[in-house]
Amino acid sequence: MDEATSRKLKELFETKLNGTMRLYLDTCARCGVCVEACHAYASMPQTRYTAVGRAEVVRKVFKKYFRMEGKIAPWLGEVLTLEDLIVDQLYDAAYSCTGCRRCMTFCPFGIDTQMIMSIAKLLLIGADREPKLLSMLADMSIAKAETMEDTRASFEEAVRNLAPEVHERWPGVPGTDAVPVGVEGADVLYVALAGKHSIIPAAAIMNAAGEKWTLSYFEAVNFAAFVGDPKKMQAIARRIHDEAVRLKVKEVAIVECGTAFRVMKYMTGSHPFKVVAFVELIARYLREGRIRLDRTRLAGRLTYHDPCQIARNGGVIEEPRYVIRHLTDDFV
Amino acid sequence: MAAETVADAVAAATEAAVASTADAVASASQAAAVPAEWPSVLNAVYWFIMVPMVYLAVVVLVLGLVGRLVAILRAPPQPYSLRLYPAAKRPAMAALRDTFTMPQVRKHAPAFWVFLMIYHAAFLLLILGHLDILPGLNIMPSDSKHMLGWGAVGVAVTLSTFYFMLRRFRGENRRISVPADYLLLLLLLFTFLFGDFMSWSNSWGRHGFVMTKQDFAAYFGSLARFTFTDPRAVLPFTKVVHTFFAVPINLLRRR
Repeated sequence: MDEATSRKLKELFETKLNGTMRLYLDTCARCGVCVEACHAYASMPQTRYTAVGRAEVVRKVFKKYFRMEGKIAPWLGEVLTLEDLIVDQLYDAAYSCTGCRRCMTFCPFGIDTQMIMSIAKLLLIGADREPKLLSMLADMSIAKAETMEDTRASFEEAVRNLAPEVHERWPGVPGTDAVPVGVEGADVLYVALAGKHSIIPAAAIMNAAGEKWTLSYFEAVNFAAFVGDPKKMQAIARRIHDEAVRLKVKEVAIVECGTAFRVMKYMTGSHPFKVVAFVELIARYLREGRIRLDRTRLAGRLTYHDPCQIARNGGVIEEPRYVIRHLTDDFV
Repeated sequence: MAAETVADAVAAATEAAVASTADAVASASQAAAVPAEWPSVLNAVYWFIMVPMVYLAVVVLVLGLVGRLVAILRAPPQPYSLRLYPAAKRPAMAALRDTFTMPQVRKHAPAFWVFLMIYHAAFLLLILGHLDILPGLNIMPSDSKHMLGWGAVGVAVTLSTFYFMLRRFRGENRRISVPADYLLLLLLLFTFLFGDFMSWSNSWGRHGFVMTKQDFAAYFGSLARFTFTDPRAVLPFTKVVHTFFAVPINLLRRR
């Protein structure tokens, strides 16, 4: 790695050093309590897949460039320089972390390893070593907003073609769209994934509830959040924000994608509308008696595993349970 | 005036302490009768460790802490919440509970938690015991021969630190540790061991003694007044020498 790249990466590193990050980088005592926390470590029991193992790669670079210890006694903390080999270690650490933040519930200090991994990801982007597929998908999401008018007609036609499949699940009200698009003044803007599997069932439910809703032109998933590019992450979320503002909706309901929900609700600033997970919407319809569920349709005992982004990181815990209790009498 | 009064009191206490252990000191001095004949470089090293290095350590600690605090406060704030759910009803209370009772460690590493709790509770008492040396504070009676805890506090921190050190040599803990982790524990371990030696374990011997609350008060009093006095002027020095040299001297007759 040449000196210019190394300097650029150091500057990128510095952009991530807010107060919280400094606390996280300075505080770890390497007590090892987090070792058993990581799912990746459970299947690949190697030190580099522990929360502390991942964070240490970043922390050792931090010590090298931002701490006196790295200059006068680098052996004390076994500091690392930004060389090619370290970039490989950063890659291994960053992209084997799912960002579930389970390790935070083990750490006596509550250190957020996902936050620390955001440094690793930014450095990899700076070194042009991030997963290219994710970057391309993020760029495509941003480009979609820029070419929206050119592709609107074909999108709307594709959505209209979904009507028969929606009507199979809910016959609907004659004269209304099965999947409304671009409805100004709708109460709910539903943001799906790029696929009909996430549109048809949701459309049937909202139509059954008599919801005044409209489908977003954009997909919920935020590939820039996965790749770790904060500017692109904001740009992708901004498309949905601007659409919701333009349509004057009261709520934005995000499809069952935990990261998309967390990014939109918590990581992109305040919005003039409410952000909900779609399961919250279903629970509300049940509470208000707008839809009913048949408890006899699903046989056997049901249980539920909280998804990390929706539950631990998003606070949606009771609503899924409420919905399942309406699906069965045998929920444990 | 107050300083003079304290100084007088300290001097009197020191004199009394020295006199009360004269016999033991005489015996110990025979075994370790080196101070007066020490080469001047050793005298200088001894004085540097016991006086300027103490100030230096305090200055480095304060500047380091303030520097890091300022850097954190001046850095941009975190743009979004990092809260975990279910959210605590009273976040401040929950954070205090996390800090002081470490429920995460209790759940996932119970043995470690026991030693952590013992260590931190004892360390708190250790600080309290050293503050007890300050004039006007009398947690232990002013004429007590013992520090707070009668040595048990020192044993608690020593055993805990020993456990922490052993833990660092096992499994993943060994692989995630860096030299600084071992160095810190070693420094703590030696500090606690010396504390144990000085405050009580020497009393096990036939001519044993303990460094009393008054002895420590004399030393810290001279530091607090920035006298830069050679500690041998305020400490019963042969006791100190005995503490540091008892093992190597015994080794001489055994080897």
